[in-house]
Amino acid sequence: MQESPTLSFGLQIQPHARMVSIVRRFVEESFEKIVGDPEAVFRVSLAVHELLENAAKYAVGDQTGLQVHFETNGSAVRIKLTNQTTPEHIERLRTCISEIQTAEEPFVLYQNMMRRTFGIQKESGLGLARIRAEGELDLSLEIDGTMVTIVASCLSARGTPT
Amino acid sequence: MRNEWAETVSESDFAAQASAANRRIQVSLTGTADLTVKAQLDHFLREVHSEAQRCSAEEVTVDFRQLEFMNSSCLKSFVWWISTAQGQPGDSKYRIVFVSSPTVCWQRRSLNALACLANEIISIQA
Repeated sequence: MQESPTLSFGLQIQPHARMVSIVRRFVEESFEKIVGDPEAVFRVSLAVHELLENAAKYAVGDQTGLQVHFETNGSAVRIKLTNQTTPEHIERLRTCISEIQTAEEPFVLYQNMMRRTFGIQKESGLGLARIRAEGELDLSLEIDGTMVTIVASCLSARGTPT
Repeated sequence: MRNEWAETVSESDFAAQASAANRRIQVSLTGTADLTVKAQLDHFLREVHSEAQRCSAEEVTVDFRQLEFMNSSCLKSFVWWISTAQGQPGDSKYRIVFVSSPTVCWQRRSLNALACLANEIISIQA
C-alpha cells in the first residue's frame, strides 16, 4: 500500500508579535492547496498561531524554530516550536502542560481556564488549552537546559484527525 | 429613541466598528485579532459595555463573519466582556448575539466556547 504523501518544513523566525499572523497565513495557504479538509488546516494553523504567540511573549533570544509535519490524508500532524526561555517560564509551562495532559475533559479545562484567567495579563496557558480543546491536538514538552520545545501532535489510525 | 454613539478601531490588519440605535448596539469586526491589537480590543469592548449600560441596551450584536482569526489573548477580552455583562443586575442585563460564518472553522469552535460561558445571555447566528 502506498504511504500517504507528507508535507514537512521548518522555519527559523524572530519571535515577534508581528510575525505570528504572517507565518500562520503562510502555513494556512500552503496547506489549503494540498489538504482538502478545512478542519485539518484550521487545527494546524491554530496550533502554529498560539505556539508562535507563546514564543513572541516568552522567548529569550532572537530565534524560534518552527517545524511542521503533516501527512496529507490527515492521518498525522506534528507541530514543534523550539526557543530559549527563562527557568521560570519553563516551570510554568511544565505545570500548564501537565494540567492539560491529565485533564479528562479538555473542553471543560479550557472553559475553566477562560473563567479563571480573563483578568490576568500575565501568562495564562489559555492558548495551550485552546490547542488541546479546539485543535484536538495532544501537547508535550521537551526541555534541554533553557531550550524548550512544545510539541502539538495527533496520530489517527483512521486516517482522519481525531 | 436614537443616539449617535459610535466607536471605531482601525489598525492595519484589524478593524472594529460599533454603533447604537434604539437600545441596540451593532458591532462588526474585520481582519485578524491577535496580540498586536489586544489593548485596542480591550478598550473597544469596555466602551461597548459602557454604552450598553448608558443606553440601557437590550441587545448587542457582534458580527464576526469578516474576522479571519482571533487569538486566545483576544478571546480573553471577550471573556471579560461576557463575564461583566453576565454579572450585571437584572434590569441592566443585555443579550449578546454572535453572528458567525459557518465556513470559518475557528468561529464555530471558539464562539461556541465563549457562548458556553453564559448561555443565558448569548446566542449564535450562523
